[in-house]
Amino acid sequence: MSYLLPNLTKKKQVDSIIRDTIDKVLVLRFGRASDALCLQLDDILSKSAREVSKFATVAVVDIDSEDVQVYVKYFDITLVPSSVFFFNAHHMKMDSGTADHTKWVGAFHTKQDFIDVVEESGWMGTFVGKPGR
Amino acid sequence: MMKSADKKRKKESKKCEFEFCKVCNLNHDHGNRHKYFPNHTKSLSTFLHRFQTKLSDIRFFLRNPTILRPELASRNRFWCVVCDAEVDEIGSSFACANAINHLASADHAKKLKHFLWKYGGGMDHADNFRFSEADLAKWEKKCHSLNDGSSSCSDRTNGLQIGPSNDIQNELSYKSINDFENNNLGPLTPKFLNNVLPLQYNTHKYQISQSGHPATAADGRIVCGAHITASGNACSASDRWNSNNITGWQNSQHCIPHTDAVGTSNFGNGGGKHMAIGGSNLHGLASIAQVSVMAPGLAEGNVHTGAPPPWLEMTVEHHPEDTSVPLSSKKGKSKLNPKRVGAAWAEKRKAELEMEKRGEIVNSDCGPNWLPNFGRVWQSGSRKESLKEFESEKPELPKVEVDPEMPITLRPYVSKRMVDVILSVEVNCVRLSMEKTVMGPDGMWQPNGMEKECISGMPKIEVCSLPGMLQQLVWGGYSTLWIQVALDLAYLLGVILQKQSVAP
Repeated sequence: MSYLLPNLTKKKQVDSIIRDTIDKVLVLRFGRASDALCLQLDDILSKSAREVSKFATVAVVDIDSEDVQVYVKYFDITLVPSSVFFFNAHHMKMDSGTADHTKWVGAFHTKQDFIDVVEESGWMGTFVGKPGR
Repeated sequence: MMKSADKKRKKESKKCEFEFCKVCNLNHDHGNRHKYFPNHTKSLSTFLHRFQTKLSDIRFFLRNPTILRPELASRNRFWCVVCDAEVDEIGSSFACANAINHLASADHAKKLKHFLWKYGGGMDHADNFRFSEADLAKWEKKCHSLNDGSSSCSDRTNGLQIGPSNDIQNELSYKSINDFENNNLGPLTPKFLNNVLPLQYNTHKYQISQSGHPATAADGRIVCGAHITASGNACSASDRWNSNNITGWQNSQHCIPHTDAVGTSNFGNGGGKHMAIGGSNLHGLASIAQVSVMAPGLAEGNVHTGAPPPWLEMTVEHHPEDTSVPLSSKKGKSKLNPKRVGAAWAEKRKAELEMEKRGEIVNSDCGPNWLPNFGRVWQSGSRKESLKEFESEKPELPKVEVDPEMPITLRPYVSKRMVDVILSVEVNCVRLSMEKTVMGPDGMWQPNGMEKECISGMPKIEVCSLPGMLQQLVWGGYSTLWIQVALDLAYLLGVILQKQSVAP
């Protein structure tokens, strides 16, 4: 399913997508295509991407790529899939129920859950002006 | 005691006294408190609203008096809820005459006040439910003028032959009208949705005509007629319906239902006046008496003359406004919240992108090592701090990785007590060695003729520099460097001593 979403394998690509996504929420999924849970999340993401396209951009990052390891370390990606949210190159925090508020670990049950999370992030970033709860 | 008991009984008895509330339509024992109950106020508002609608119908005839035909007078009744009395129109020559007189009477005003006091509703609203004397006077004046006019009109209409001599047409229309009459259309004041009347007559080409009809009176009196004219853009039919509330009153005694009787719109004449003539004598389906008098300047053509429709003119006027509105709204939308996250960065980046589009070189600070601001797991402080932390950690990791072949010296932990012990041992050894050794001609310490005495742990070593160091340590005021050096030396001496002891 990740073929429907931009698949990033280089640090430069990740840099450019973070820098060039302006006034929209950016969702970066860190995972691998061979993982079952990643596939489930990718399914939800690809189906929802169009619906949130007006206020969000979704991309997947291959965690096994060599060039991207700096980001893996920087974001402390230890569990896959992990989704990191950005708004105007600022990292958005969220309460996903775990102690780690910097990323969303795991998949979503339904499209609507993902859309709700993205809407919340967008709203917080645009109107509240706070990068997270 | 007895008096208080009596009082209580009286109060209880008062409570038990039931009275009927005609607003709520129920019996209650609440007394005067009842009018403040929310249910009562709700009921009162609906009650008064219904009464108000009936009064508005009568008010129409107050403003526009119309002659009432005797045969229809019996059908018109008005129930005054305030006075609990029925007012009929038997013997009245004008529509709602008796009702108007009743509502303007002092008796009704008195009962109205009592009603409002008893049931609530506000005494200041009393004028809404009665007619003033001034209104009554105006109405009477109009009725007088109507009387005079109708008498003259009747003479004229009798002499004119209106419409073609197509009796079949007239008969048909007459029949239909009569059928309408016979139909019991029910309520006194039927309400039509959106003030749209059902088709009363067969459509006929003469119904839509602009020919000047002499039967129309200059003062707008209702002459006779069977239809409503097409009035053009001056006054639409809907306006007319709105202005003339439809009731079941007859407009003229002498009204002959001609389908081809024409009510003119005198645009051709330039008079500017136009009127719709409704000559309906149908019960329940009213005729429109008089429309409105237009100013001459406004009568600038109509659909028949080929004038541009007003709605197109309106749209043309509005178009420039409309185009401006979305632009402004777009501009408004593009003005995002300036306090949003990363606002400054976003603006800067947008400018950079525009410059790149134009082909200008942008000096960006995005090198290969750029990383976004990221807050870490156990984050405290700003996101930039976490970025700095990561960058500070980054150089350490490669150092360790680049020189993996460096020998890692593992040193056992030596406590301070051990250090003291070793130092004392060293000092003793050195003292002994110094006693046993003499400075030779070559500057090296040499054993002092006691080669044979084997002092355990005392090898022949170059210790020329050792006493000085130890002296430094002994004197105190030594730095950590010296302590470290001393520890190293102590360790080495210990190793050597061990070896010596082990060796045969």
